[in-house]
Amino acid sequence: MPIASLQLPQPIRRRHAIAPRDFGRRDRAIELYEAGEFHDSVCETLAYLLPGQGVPDLRREAFSFVQGSARVRIHIDGDEIVLCTVLAALNADSQATAALRFFLTRLSSTGQMFQPRLRGEEISLEFRDQLALMHPTKLIEVLQRMPMEADSNDSWMVTQFGVAIPDREPIAPLEDEEFARAIEIWNSHWNAVDELILESRRRRSVRFLDAVGSFAAYHLRYTLPLFGTIRARLNEGADDFTDRDEHPNKRDSALAKCIKDMRRCSEDELRQCLGHATYAINPLQEGTPSLLTSTLGSGNRMQTTGELRATGRSMEAALELISDYLELLAHYSWSPEVESALRVGLNLVSGKAWREAADVLWNHANATSRVFGSHGEHDREDEETEAHYDA
Amino acid sequence: MTLENLTHAAEPIGLDDDIEALGIYQVYTGSGTGSGFLIDATHLVTNCHVVQPYRQVAVEMRDRTRILGTVQRLDPHRDLAVVELSRPVDGAVLELSDVEQMRPKQAVHILGFPVGLPLSLTEGVISHPRQLLDEQYFLQTDAAINPGNSGGPMLDDHRRIIAVTTCKLNAADAVGFGIPVADVRRFVDAFRAQTSAFGVQCPACQELIGAPLRYCPSCGLDLERQHDFGEFFDTPDPHPLVGFVENSLAGAGIDPVLARHGNHNWSFHVGSAPIKVWCCCSDHLNFSSPMVQTGTRGLNELFKFLLAAEHAPFSFDLNGTTIRLNLVVHISDVFASQEHAALSARVKQFIAKADVTDNLLIEEYGCVPAPETQVEFLKGAEHDEAS
Repeated sequence: MPIASLQLPQPIRRRHAIAPRDFGRRDRAIELYEAGEFHDSVCETLAYLLPGQGVPDLRREAFSFVQGSARVRIHIDGDEIVLCTVLAALNADSQATAALRFFLTRLSSTGQMFQPRLRGEEISLEFRDQLALMHPTKLIEVLQRMPMEADSNDSWMVTQFGVAIPDREPIAPLEDEEFARAIEIWNSHWNAVDELILESRRRRSVRFLDAVGSFAAYHLRYTLPLFGTIRARLNEGADDFTDRDEHPNKRDSALAKCIKDMRRCSEDELRQCLGHATYAINPLQEGTPSLLTSTLGSGNRMQTTGELRATGRSMEAALELISDYLELLAHYSWSPEVESALRVGLNLVSGKAWREAADVLWNHANATSRVFGSHGEHDREDEETEAHYDA
Repeated sequence: MTLENLTHAAEPIGLDDDIEALGIYQVYTGSGTGSGFLIDATHLVTNCHVVQPYRQVAVEMRDRTRILGTVQRLDPHRDLAVVELSRPVDGAVLELSDVEQMRPKQAVHILGFPVGLPLSLTEGVISHPRQLLDEQYFLQTDAAINPGNSGGPMLDDHRRIIAVTTCKLNAADAVGFGIPVADVRRFVDAFRAQTSAFGVQCPACQELIGAPLRYCPSCGLDLERQHDFGEFFDTPDPHPLVGFVENSLAGAGIDPVLARHGNHNWSFHVGSAPIKVWCCCSDHLNFSSPMVQTGTRGLNELFKFLLAAEHAPFSFDLNGTTIRLNLVVHISDVFASQEHAALSARVKQFIAKADVTDNLLIEEYGCVPAPETQVEFLKGAEHDEAS
């Protein structure tokens, strides 16, 4: 008997209460840069990226902010600006050669402005350049991507190489009640994915595999505040099983392997990888009306989902719609109204049979797109392609 | 004549293992790469679309050094070009076949540089000796043709040129086309009689035109309206990114024409160090030198040296076992023209550092040369002269 419904509990992961960005400030920063007011341009860029947070005069004092487990420091040194976040410190017990190879192979690279730098036994991600070469788009890129790299790798490096993290921002552990609920969500999630992969094999449908893979990744990203080793392993697996250019057999194997790997995690491991981090820079991409329209409105994708529903393939239709809702909530930040509307959609179908879930969510998606979608007017989706990641 | 003699007479000469000695070379421009073959020690025939819109191109020898080539004649209609080399080269000149009638199923050997790989041979048969396509006749073959083969020769079993590779049908498998040798011979003969330094053939009457005219002086064809003839005589303004890179390379003593390796790509050697320049996305311009490979001992010290903060603004990374020295320039800096001098100085510094660091890594840290390292320039007098 295949799985009859999905439980979609309230998330434990907290939404980040971050003020919306004022794009006018970014434009102003570019104007200042082009006028040769380099220091003011840097301050205006920081004000744009960190709305509502006081940015000091960098000529007088350094500025620092927290992004997940990474602490980022910014200061001006002569005519140069320096951004730095400490990654790790090698010690007598660490596997130093393996750690150094990892820094050189995975963290040092072309295609990025910041690089790992070793001073003594301490390794940091650093970026240093002349103020006159600090165009706001370059500064925004470094400010978003550098802490993301540090935040994504620090706990993992401790586990793998035994290095110390001398300057890591502690992440608030879950309260006991939250942790108990997290374990329940974790177990129920992997039970459901285990049954869904069996169904995917039975149906031999790539589209169904797409939906199962999306659900497996987005549901946990939305509900649980994962970090560290388990998040790294889950993301690594998801890179493979959600890769639609990869052969379906390989994706199926990657998902099965990920399920086994995740099921092996003990409660202690999970406790160490669950916690509430704080982010000065919104780690999620800002959702736009046109994104809502293209995902939930009258596009080809929704048309095909509608055809699945109309031809009685309710399970596929419902799973696709649920995965779309989860993706929108997991990867994008929304106004409270939109977020609430999306959450209501999930509440309506949690625990409901596939046919009912497909009908209810189909109607809800269309209504949400009508109310909050773009209706053809211009918005900033195309021009806002700054880096984001899963927090 | 006995049957045996007939068999012997028809025995193919073959293209066993000596293709490296043939006068077939890779042509590089700022648009892409192609192939070309010698018609004498200083002239190369290739496709017009390989060299267009450049009047100067780079031609790579077997030892990976490049020499300058100057375009002397173009036939855009038949897609042929002649390039004069800056010095004589010693590759074997292949004979143009005088056999006008080709047969279906006759063997075809295609030589060239597919997808930028070293000189390669693919084989097939003639599918149609005179296939009509876009009002021109082509030799059609089922032999594999890939980007980079353009301008290379198609040979018969007797190592004679029977066509020049020009294109293939993307929507079909194994449908490639060559310009028949009779047209190639006519083009080469006309070039031999050419007295001017540069000219483009009129698509209608083959009259050689040496200036950007609106109408062909011989047949009256409207050249500009139908064929954009002006473009053959004008060097287009470079993209600001290209301008920045090529000015920076020139400032570092590198000939930018010889360094071109396709669209927004450059590659060259400085002393022993290979250097590549490319855009990986809309934000970053990368300079990278895959200089050496790691040894097997002392890796901890080597890795610490590579990660040392003193290398900034440059950095090292490991690609497999290959150590690369990198410099990343943000595209926004390229458009901040007031800072070009500082950035160009940084590029020059990077090139100089690449040239000396490979020796250091080999001598001090037990690294070994990378596949692209020009080992003859590692250390010693020759190295000093080259740098």
